[in-house]
Amino acid sequence: MLRFDATQLVLRHAGDSPIVGNLGPTSDELYHAGHRDRNFYTYGNMGLCSSIALGMALSTDDKVISLDGDGSLLMNLGTIATVGREMPENLVVVVWDNEAWAQTGGQPSHTSTNTNLEDVAKSCGISKTTTVDDLETLEEAFGRAMNEPGPWFIVAKIEEAEQYMPVAPVEPEFTLYRFRNTYVG
Amino acid sequence: MTWAETIVDTLKKWDTSLIAYVPDISIDKVTSIIDADPFFHLVSCTREEEAVGVAVGSYAVGRNAAVFMQSSGFGNSINGIASLCLPSRTPIPIFMNLRGQVGEFNIAQVAMGRNTKPILDLFGIAHYTIESEDRMDTLLDGVMKLCHAHRNPVAICMTPMLHGGKIA
Repeated sequence: MLRFDATQLVLRHAGDSPIVGNLGPTSDELYHAGHRDRNFYTYGNMGLCSSIALGMALSTDDKVISLDGDGSLLMNLGTIATVGREMPENLVVVVWDNEAWAQTGGQPSHTSTNTNLEDVAKSCGISKTTTVDDLETLEEAFGRAMNEPGPWFIVAKIEEAEQYMPVAPVEPEFTLYRFRNTYVG
Repeated sequence: MTWAETIVDTLKKWDTSLIAYVPDISIDKVTSIIDADPFFHLVSCTREEEAVGVAVGSYAVGRNAAVFMQSSGFGNSINGIASLCLPSRTPIPIFMNLRGQVGEFNIAQVAMGRNTKPILDLFGIAHYTIESEDRMDTLLDGVMKLCHAHRNPVAICMTPMLHGGKIA
């Protein structure tokens, strides 16, 4: 399953829900799959994607979607524990798990060996979890996540495309301004 | 009104109701009041950089947020502040217990504590040190006004002269 195809699938089911994109290709592909005001692209702050989404979920009634990555989440595993402590019903965490730090040369990440992120989420008290590896099972899981109380934690095994998409022409300051204006504008 | 109550009062005045923090014995005098007040949602985080992310997410959907930490935790949060708060321009007030000051008993706290303000200066982040309750309400109100006008983080550094510090 390619991340871009999976991202398009997420957008088809997301409605007006905020989507936080992990840094780099995840945010680039989110932009190219469907730029919208409620896409919150990140280009630094590695590890904070799901923390940002958690802060959103605690402050709006909308479903909030985090498109995180295995390498990034491994940098901030504690935020899964905070999700498990807060238990926001409107948070959907999707982890694009390519089992590698793809952007730095494809070095294998810890999920390529003994770390199972779904088990980590379960052990933090999150019961709505699943691991999927194709578009059909992702669609089923994500569709449920958007319609049933969470928090949801979906590990989606993906493959890297042969080429990265162009860097999205967005600026952090304008991303925040545009995104926030959908709430306070 | 105590210094802790003054902070809580200021947060309310500026409609800042999501507080993300990592526990600290000195700022507990503030966060314990916050925790008991239904106006606030106090989010206990596992690391200070995570608290920064949670606060930015809250602000992004229209709810003002603040973070509480001690200066060692500021060290843990620098990349989040530098690569998220600054380029996105998020007005997040950072309340921190400034370690490494007079009365510090722990050598391991000195380097980060004493270098916190120079690091804030390097990033161009406005910071204000509070050592007494004198005119604290006026100062904090002005700090919050600046924070939102500039749409950037500000740091409020509280020393043991204000809160009594941690006793070895």
